Amino acid sequence: MTTTTIEPATQPLVNLPSTSNVFSRLLKSDLKVQWRNRRATIIVILIPSIILFSWKGLVKQFGGAFALSNCITFGLNAIGLMGYANSIARDRDKGIFQRLRLTPVPRWTIIASRLAVQLVMIIVMSLVLFIIGYQVDKITLTPTGYVLGLLTAIIGGAAYLSLGQMIVGLIRNVETVNVTSRLVFFLFIMIGQIASFGGLGEYWGNIANWSPYGATKTIIAAALTPGAWNNNTSISLLMSLGYTLVFTILGIRYFRWSTK
Amino acid sequence: MNTPTNQPVLQVDGLDVRYGSFQAVQKVSFAVQPGEIFGLLGPNGAGKTSTLSAIEGLLKPNGGIITVAGYDTRKQPLQVRASMGVQLQNTSFQPELTVAEIIQLYAGIHGVDLTTEKTAAILADIKLEDSAGKRFGQLSGGQQQRVSLVIATIHRPPLVLMDEPTTGLDPQSRRQLWERMESMRNKGHAILLTTHSMEEAESVCDRIAIIDHGQIITIDTPQAIIDGNRDKPEVIAASRKGRITLEDVFIGLTGTTVRS
Repeated sequence: MTTTTIEPATQPLVNLPSTSNVFSRLLKSDLKVQWRNRRATIIVILIPSIILFSWKGLVKQFGGAFALSNCITFGLNAIGLMGYANSIARDRDKGIFQRLRLTPVPRWTIIASRLAVQLVMIIVMSLVLFIIGYQVDKITLTPTGYVLGLLTAIIGGAAYLSLGQMIVGLIRNVETVNVTSRLVFFLFIMIGQIASFGGLGEYWGNIANWSPYGATKTIIAAALTPGAWNNNTSISLLMSLGYTLVFTILGIRYFRWSTK
Repeated sequence: MNTPTNQPVLQVDGLDVRYGSFQAVQKVSFAVQPGEIFGLLGPNGAGKTSTLSAIEGLLKPNGGIITVAGYDTRKQPLQVRASMGVQLQNTSFQPELTVAEIIQLYAGIHGVDLTTEKTAAILADIKLEDSAGKRFGQLSGGQQQRVSLVIATIHRPPLVLMDEPTTGLDPQSRRQLWERMESMRNKGHAILLTTHSMEEAESVCDRIAIIDHGQIITIDTPQAIIDGNRDKPEVIAASRKGRITLEDVFIGLTGTTVRS
């Protein structure tokens, strides 16, 4: 066996595309994929819309912020768990990430592009709910309320996306991710909704209020009516950010690009 | 092809890969020259995939140095990935994207801008001009391999890695792929090929390395390997029809036990 001494390359032999160019191409493709996955996209937007529509009677009793915050939180839950987690698990299982890792793209751009698409979904979903709330339920908010509501939806969405990332980080099998994300989704929805209407009692109600679902709902509701922001809301905001941080750390630490 | 002509495109020196206490690859060294098809042969579990994965940058080796076109895989991973094209055994792309979109995406992230016309010309060259709008999963095995090979070579890399590229192909598709590989070699690409097919190794490879239990047993041209081992008793014992073939030498050197 012979070995040959390698001299360093004296001129650039490769043309590395810029990170922004690579990211924009990945983003364009991922947006196309999301758009063509219309069934998943429609479910994420349609179901909270239907709930908001059906809650017309409750708006008068509990207020517009209550209805909107619940529906937006429901949508964020769906985006993070049913949308993001399952699509990452599916693409990992198919070897799509493995294929991308063999290209000169910085690896963070692969997931960043996926997250950017989900951010677009969060914004679209929130805006659709604002419009339905205004048109159907006659929910009228101040411009500040709409803007802060959108911002807190993004903050709450980050918590759910990081939860989805944690699930795919800790679980490699695609079917198990599917089952787990559905279970967590329904658990949060059921407990969150029951707690919203005071059905869990004080003790469990408080626990539900500090869960990712409860914390997200609280900050969105307060943001939609800025005058309602209080100490509890600030604590909920910190809880939301804390959840995002912990889930993100676990999601990145244990994430594997391949199931093999 | 702008690689210095007398330097190996791929240099592997003292590669070590361990999974816990299991030594998958031990002190493996070889070099692949420009304009050469180099085959890596070995039974299941011999260390071929681990060696290939280390070169591709999919796993971090425990020791050794790998350089591609003069770039160190540990210090300049993006440049390394830009200098090689990879055709995986099981390739999958985003199922929602069309063949044309997949080619344009991967060309773009390798820094190659493709217009619609250029993409159409590429597809026509591989006789898939009618498949631009199809999804990747709708193509036959041979068609998928042609698309994968185009994507692996679209940026004219000095080194192309092919992991059992003819598995599952019919004889005509296999021959066609061999012709394409030879054409690439004649243009100056270096090709590292893993294969289980002795016929493929003899027909296409300029040199082959036989690897077993994580170590290189021999490296030479197929005919030289046959000639150098034809008198060994274990090779003669493996022979079936009196004429010593590469397969007989392979079985003689690696044993007759079936590996899982």
